[in-house]
Amino acid sequence: MSEALTPVAAPPRAPGRRGRDRLRTVVRGVGQLLITVGVVVLLFVVYEVYVTDLFGSQKQAAATEAIDQVWAGAEATTTDTVVVTDPNQLVTDPRQRTPKYETLSGEGFAKLYIPAFGADYRFTVVEGTNSDDLYIGPGHYSGTQMPGQQGNFAVAGHRVSKGSPFNDLGLLSSCDAVVLETQDDWFVYRVLPMQEEEASWDGTQHAHCAGVGVQTGQYAGVYGREITVPTDYAQVLPVPQVDSTTVPPDAQRLITLTTCHPQFSDRERMIIHGVLTQSYAKAPGFLPPELGEG
Amino acid sequence: MYVWIWRRLPGPTAVRWLQALGLFLAVVAVLFFVVFPWLEPYLPFDRVSTD
Repeated sequence: MSEALTPVAAPPRAPGRRGRDRLRTVVRGVGQLLITVGVVVLLFVVYEVYVTDLFGSQKQAAATEAIDQVWAGAEATTTDTVVVTDPNQLVTDPRQRTPKYETLSGEGFAKLYIPAFGADYRFTVVEGTNSDDLYIGPGHYSGTQMPGQQGNFAVAGHRVSKGSPFNDLGLLSSCDAVVLETQDDWFVYRVLPMQEEEASWDGTQHAHCAGVGVQTGQYAGVYGREITVPTDYAQVLPVPQVDSTTVPPDAQRLITLTTCHPQFSDRERMIIHGVLTQSYAKAPGFLPPELGEG
Repeated sequence: MYVWIWRRLPGPTAVRWLQALGLFLAVVAVLFFVVFPWLEPYLPFDRVSTD
């Protein structure tokens, strides 16, 4: 190295050494190239794991600010200022609640809370699942139902990079709460029983499991967590695994979360299914008790 | 390649190191803001939806 750095007048060379010098140059060039490629690959890992998180959290913050403004504007038009602290007074029948908000691709329309991931776990869900949408946060599959509706409210999110909203989906247990806040409502979904819990489900006591049970009928085989192939779009259809986009009249109100699997790969997909167990009307100062389950 | 660049940087060694650092950071910026965002969709660990 130092030989190359200091421009010393080279001694006259014998003709035989010229071929060896060229070989040395080539070998050194290849070596430097390999080191460069290695550094670039390492930089890509840094980019993917850290830098996109920074970019993603900026986009997420902007989307959250936008939806907060929209909601604040909608709230100002209502005249109801009664402070209600008893959750039971705010319980609603989801059949009476129709979404009054509009969704635009790439813009937030709901907030997602998963208390099992900590009190600070909160993401603004945007409309659409293309790469720009998912850079902002979890994205709602256009064409699937809205929060609280009959059918399937389906959301995709990154597991690694871009804020990693769905990094920990593998840690969810059955009956963990997945809470959605929309302009006027709170919707509390709970993760369905896992496949390995199916046989012993009815005989065991579970905390927070009211309204959650082993699925039967057209829903048979729908579990809390499934690992599937990337082409399995039927997981986000109104009745998962039934190849139809029509919502049957007796359909349940499901939520489906999808992310890539295994971590750092997208060879497969991890799917989480949950069912609506409770809903509340929003009121000033009111937070659903489920948010405190942690 | 790096020898070639080093020889063409003007000034004493300390100044050359600063310039080399600047060049490195410029290359990193180009990678982070241009090359990697372009490359990402073609790589197999970023797709999270079913389709």
